[in-house]
Amino acid sequence: MQRSAAAVSVEVKQVIAALCRLLTTSGLESVPAPEQFRRAKFGGGPEVENQFWQLLATILQKCSIVSCEAIAGEHRKLVAAGLWQTGYHADWMYEQGGEEGGEGGRFSSKDLLLALGWLLASGTLEKLLTQRVEQLDKTLILTPTPVNPQLSNGLPLDSASLRRLQWLVGSLRHQGRTLLSMQEERTRLLHAVSVASLPSSVSSSSSDQSSTLLKKDCVCMQQLCDLLEAYLNWTQVEKVFWTWMDSVVDGHLTDPVVKKPVEAPNNRGRRCRHGNCGLEKLEDMLLTLPTRQKGQRRVREAPEDRGEGGLLQGRSDSCLHPLSGSPRLPSCPLVYRLKTERPVRYNSPGAHGGANTAEELPASQAAELLLQTEALLLERRDRQRLANRMQLQEMIGRLDKLVLIPP
Amino acid sequence: MSIVTVQLGQCGNQVGQQLFDSLCCDAQDGQRKERCTASCERFFHQNMHGDLVARAVLIDMEPKVINQSISRAAKSGRWRYGETSHFSQKQGSGNNWANGFCVHGPGHTEVVEELVRREVERCDRLSGLMAMMSVAGGTGSGVGTYVTQCLRDIYPKSFILNHLTWPYGTGEVIVQNYNTVLTLAHLYKLSDAILVHENDTVHQICSQLLNIQQISFADVNTVIAHQLGSVLQPALTAESHGVYSRNPLGELVGALCCHPEYKLLSVSTIPQVPSASMAYSSFSWPSLLKHLRQMLISNTKMEEGIDWQVRPPAASERSRSLTAGSFNTSLANVLILRGKDVYSAETAGFEDPALYTSWLSSEEAFSVWKSPVPFNKYEKSATLVSNSQALLSPLDSMVGRAWNMFASRAYIHQYTKFGISEEDFLDSFTSLEQVISSYKQLR
Repeated sequence: MQRSAAAVSVEVKQVIAALCRLLTTSGLESVPAPEQFRRAKFGGGPEVENQFWQLLATILQKCSIVSCEAIAGEHRKLVAAGLWQTGYHADWMYEQGGEEGGEGGRFSSKDLLLALGWLLASGTLEKLLTQRVEQLDKTLILTPTPVNPQLSNGLPLDSASLRRLQWLVGSLRHQGRTLLSMQEERTRLLHAVSVASLPSSVSSSSSDQSSTLLKKDCVCMQQLCDLLEAYLNWTQVEKVFWTWMDSVVDGHLTDPVVKKPVEAPNNRGRRCRHGNCGLEKLEDMLLTLPTRQKGQRRVREAPEDRGEGGLLQGRSDSCLHPLSGSPRLPSCPLVYRLKTERPVRYNSPGAHGGANTAEELPASQAAELLLQTEALLLERRDRQRLANRMQLQEMIGRLDKLVLIPP
Repeated sequence: MSIVTVQLGQCGNQVGQQLFDSLCCDAQDGQRKERCTASCERFFHQNMHGDLVARAVLIDMEPKVINQSISRAAKSGRWRYGETSHFSQKQGSGNNWANGFCVHGPGHTEVVEELVRREVERCDRLSGLMAMMSVAGGTGSGVGTYVTQCLRDIYPKSFILNHLTWPYGTGEVIVQNYNTVLTLAHLYKLSDAILVHENDTVHQICSQLLNIQQISFADVNTVIAHQLGSVLQPALTAESHGVYSRNPLGELVGALCCHPEYKLLSVSTIPQVPSASMAYSSFSWPSLLKHLRQMLISNTKMEEGIDWQVRPPAASERSRSLTAGSFNTSLANVLILRGKDVYSAETAGFEDPALYTSWLSSEEAFSVWKSPVPFNKYEKSATLVSNSQALLSPLDSMVGRAWNMFASRAYIHQYTKFGISEEDFLDSFTSLEQVISSYKQLR
């Protein structure tokens, strides 16, 4: 157990290093070292916090979620505002008023880590990556960013609008084809030009010029390759990171139970002004249920400690056992359910980051899981059928005088 | 930007030859060098001796018509076909679509593809491919459909326009309705746009407008070539910014056939007069366009016998459009004006939203192309390419007749023996019924 835990921590470190590399290659400066992530998980102090403030601020700026340049002290407010815009909510975001970051005790670098997790999970990474690729790859025809990627719910769905939509899609497709043929023509002409000019101008200044251009292009291409490679490496090990992030969430969730009563009067006064009384009440009610939840959490933490596939591995294990034909079947949905529901019940700062990981992972894996289950059940059914048939034949064999004509 | 034409079967090879002839004639007649260059780049390339060579591939299962077309082109002295850009066999398809599609087509795929590829590689930029054929016979329809399928596979991003000649309703070939149904149903999935000329309509134009007594195929083909030429010759479009459009097929398809259920295009041209009386006729843009508009909405194919009673339905009548009766609703139109004072022509009559479906605004549905260069000796001429209900009734009756034959299993064995099953027939009927229903619902 000890050894595997050590192995896991090494693996996690490598995975975080992969993430850091990816962040750096996608054009972010000031990415903390992997070691800082670990320190942040255990409340790393102001130095670590500063690094993460910086990282969050640059990410938010690069994705143009917040626009203005951060002034020294202001960037915390900026980060809070940016996070708020991406849909992230945590108590510390409201507590900043006088005391800069709420250093009164509840706020820690873990909060920032969770916020980072939220940003990564909500697709910021891909956004950064796309931006960087567009910068580097000059051959791309830049697509204008879609104005409103989400279809509004009020979209009319009658046949006329549908036909109009089909027409517009067709029109776009034709335009795309035209553009492609233009690009082909351009390529062909460029090729003709370069073929014509190459032999004559080996030593001329124009070739020098073009060679510096080529070198620049070459550097860009190299960077592009590095970026894509970093992304590829990251996606292969992403799972481990999210397992680790899950453990951050878990650690975070245990904290408020101890700390809450100390801070509570102050907080409550504040939030009532925001009209959050109902929420407070709910939280209080929920806090009376810690024992049950803790029990349930243990069930789920066990596989996580084993590392490797982590979260998913654990889930599929606990789900598959009952399926292979044992009386433990009812426990499976409970454990499975617990994951998605818990963040809702627990309205504390980390909940959102947790909710995200918990929701995304099962969604991506649920289908696989169901397929596995189906295969297992089918196999069991077939085995049962075979057994039944054998039994039947045996019985028939014993009935000597009876002649059975199979259908 | 060039178009590669593939002429298929007897009809395709005859119409194609006529088309190139009128394009070449028109381009060289024109005083404007700019348009002449644009037109030549579009349809011809120059060989080593400086002759204009059509960007065309000729395909037929019999050598006779191909040889005729090649020698006629050479005799014109203005242009010629490529020395080796034709392919023919000794044995025809016997007016059997299945024979063309299942036997002759697949049998010669490689040769045909190679011929087309060579033509395409000669173009600096391929605007698209145009396959010309009739739907009645065996080679044009069957081999033509097969070749279109191959072209779609090789050039998935290119525009493919099929020009189809629909047979006389009275019939040249007993199984022409079968051939038509099978061709149309297949092409609807492959082609970007299907431009149709009906022999009946063209015949009427020959007899009533051009006063021709003994109408030959050559006369019919001349009319088709004239109409087609006036669509395909270079023109200034809204997107071409004052120079001749370099993407003719793309713009045509983009303006008219963006919706996958609506791909049938009809053409009408005005004026059309006998060449003898051309010198004594004069036309004004308002009158030409007024006639053309009424021809469109009353679905009349020529300027004689127009029903002037037909009016576009008012907005309130639209919902219960059963009363619209003979009104021809358009999905989209392209109006091409060529000749003198073309910039003074007022086209607002075609921008009336009442002419179009409720789900497409008239700005999207209507476009105008203009060229100050007169076309084919007409001082002024207007051509309307229309994606409308105009072809609904001939299509409907053709499918109906084919279905009647199919219901009594007439001649089916001629098709099944080449590998076209009754299922294939049923599939084709189904997809054409869908087309018919889509056009019926256009309002």
